[in-house]
Amino acid sequence: MAATASTSASAAAADGAPRRVAIALRGVSIGYGERAIVEGIDLDILAGEILFIGGGSGCGKTTLLSSLNTLRPPLAGSIVIDGIEIAGAGEDTLQQVRRRFGMMYQLGALFGGMTLLENVRLPLEEFTTLPRDAMDDLARAKLGLVGLAAHAGKKPSEISGGMQKRAAIARALALDPPIVFLDEPSAGLDPVTSADLDALIVALNRMLGTTFVVISHELASIFAIGHRFAMLDGARRRMVALGAPAELRDHSDDPWVRRFLTRTASGDHG
Amino acid sequence: MTGAAGGPGTAANPAQVAGATAGATVRTGVDGGTLSIAIEGDLVLDTVGAVHRALREPLARVPRGVALRLSGVRRIDASGVAVAVGLHRFAKSAGIPFAIDGVDGDRKLLVELALRGQDPVAPDAPVGFVRQVGAYAGDIGALVADLVRFCGEISFIALQIVRRPTLLRGYDTLAAMARHGTDAVPVVGLLGFLIGSIIAFQTYDPMAKFGAKLQVADVVGVSVVRELGPLITAIVLAGRSGSAFAAEIGTMKVTQELDALRTFGIDPVRFLVIPRMLATVLVTPLLSVYASILGVLGGFVVLAPKGIGFMQYAIEVRNVLTIGGFLQGLAKAAVFAVLVAGIGCLAGMRTGQGPGAVGLSTTRAVVAGIVAIILADSVLGAFFYTLGI
Repeated sequence: MAATASTSASAAAADGAPRRVAIALRGVSIGYGERAIVEGIDLDILAGEILFIGGGSGCGKTTLLSSLNTLRPPLAGSIVIDGIEIAGAGEDTLQQVRRRFGMMYQLGALFGGMTLLENVRLPLEEFTTLPRDAMDDLARAKLGLVGLAAHAGKKPSEISGGMQKRAAIARALALDPPIVFLDEPSAGLDPVTSADLDALIVALNRMLGTTFVVISHELASIFAIGHRFAMLDGARRRMVALGAPAELRDHSDDPWVRRFLTRTASGDHG
Repeated sequence: MTGAAGGPGTAANPAQVAGATAGATVRTGVDGGTLSIAIEGDLVLDTVGAVHRALREPLARVPRGVALRLSGVRRIDASGVAVAVGLHRFAKSAGIPFAIDGVDGDRKLLVELALRGQDPVAPDAPVGFVRQVGAYAGDIGALVADLVRFCGEISFIALQIVRRPTLLRGYDTLAAMARHGTDAVPVVGLLGFLIGSIIAFQTYDPMAKFGAKLQVADVVGVSVVRELGPLITAIVLAGRSGSAFAAEIGTMKVTQELDALRTFGIDPVRFLVIPRMLATVLVTPLLSVYASILGVLGGFVVLAPKGIGFMQYAIEVRNVLTIGGFLQGLAKAAVFAVLVAGIGCLAGMRTGQGPGAVGLSTTRAVVAGIVAIILADSVLGAFFYTLGI
């Protein structure tokens, strides 16, 4: 399927500089069966930005992510990743797109029968012709980035949940994809590890230009490293905010967005 | 971790390496025994393999130190730092110094992060034979202890339920009877029928040679009712229900549902094990009788075309079967049910951690269940024979 015009266009980043659009969503509806959870999402995710997607529980964040990572086709609309339309695309096209992003699942989804080193090495074995010892060095380097080099020989069941998440990030980075999707990376991590993870995301983003799309509720991370924040609202079934997190917190017209970003208790988000 | 390295010194042997979309130059030289490596260009996933190959030969000459200079690197990604990681590990293993320079800012952070905890770890010393035997014996001891504790808990709770029947989760028991009894009717019936007909097929010709065609009914009746009906039912049960018990309870353990029950003050054995065991013990003898009836019918279907009438066949089977033989089949079925359900539930309760643990428990439940069935069948067979039943 042909790419839409928006992918070749550039859009203004938060700093005003024009940037290439890495992922373009136009009129996207997501949901299950016939039931849409969120409709009409128009969103340009810019190359090299850290975009957080948030919202209340059940608002469709993870469903949107599963549409972005090609596992669940959107109910309607167009999703273009790196110039390739994935809505309605065939398996060959989807396979091509899958090489361009890495994915970290909420619970890690590491392969339990393999060591951490083998988990990270797997994509390299499948998609590169590197010598075996180079693959090992590479997998160790990725594990080192997330602070797990000393645990390379352990199996996922032998490490904590937080470590499993970090190992999953290392696996997502195995092929140095230009786009990385992270589903709740900080949930369940202690504040120090969470801050380390934020620093790693920023370093990779700044140095490698990796685009990060992060599903998260962690306000500290959103404000610390998020370039932009997109907020979904399940009650109104649409994306209700998009912008710099601090800007939205201080100046959004939408009280629900302000309450969400200031962590204010409310029985009614009107 | 990072530090000043001498320049490439007598840098020579520039090797051009190229990937599909990037290229790099690797210059190596030896300065006072230290291998100096200067990399220029793109140090990315696309070139890292070629760089790695280019460094093999210089490293094979056993340098007295390694100095890596990355100041000429135009582009580096998270894969590119693997070169530094490989050299660091090489130097550590060889006990020689390693230095890296030409990195600052985010690149320095990236390299420092990648090198964290990369010191090679000496492999664990092989575990000695005596230690292995000891560990194995310890595992067996733990299994026996768990088995004894499990049997004790079941007996204790069963006694409590006899005193206070309201402790039994009746609905769960009925649901388990439906799932593991009613739902098993087709497969148990089919297997019983086929076993009966196979026995008739296999014995008809040899028996006919001695003019004992009608006695094929005796063989079918005795073997199916006393032995194969209960045995086939129990084996189906082990594969179908024992594995399901292990998987259900094992998954609940992995997801901490068993811990949740305990923190509520609910005994998981009463809540989960007793209904399953009771249901299995109640339905298995019935399934066994059903399998036996269909087995006898299966024998008749084979013999009918050979000129043996239904009444003739039925009277022969009736004559050879005794109440003792029938009860023997029922008793065996009940014992098998206790074994299969108990082993399945125990395997579930002993499930370890990790995604492979439930699969392992399920396998153990089925294998141990079938072994226990055959073992118990041998013991019971000898026991009933001794009693003259």
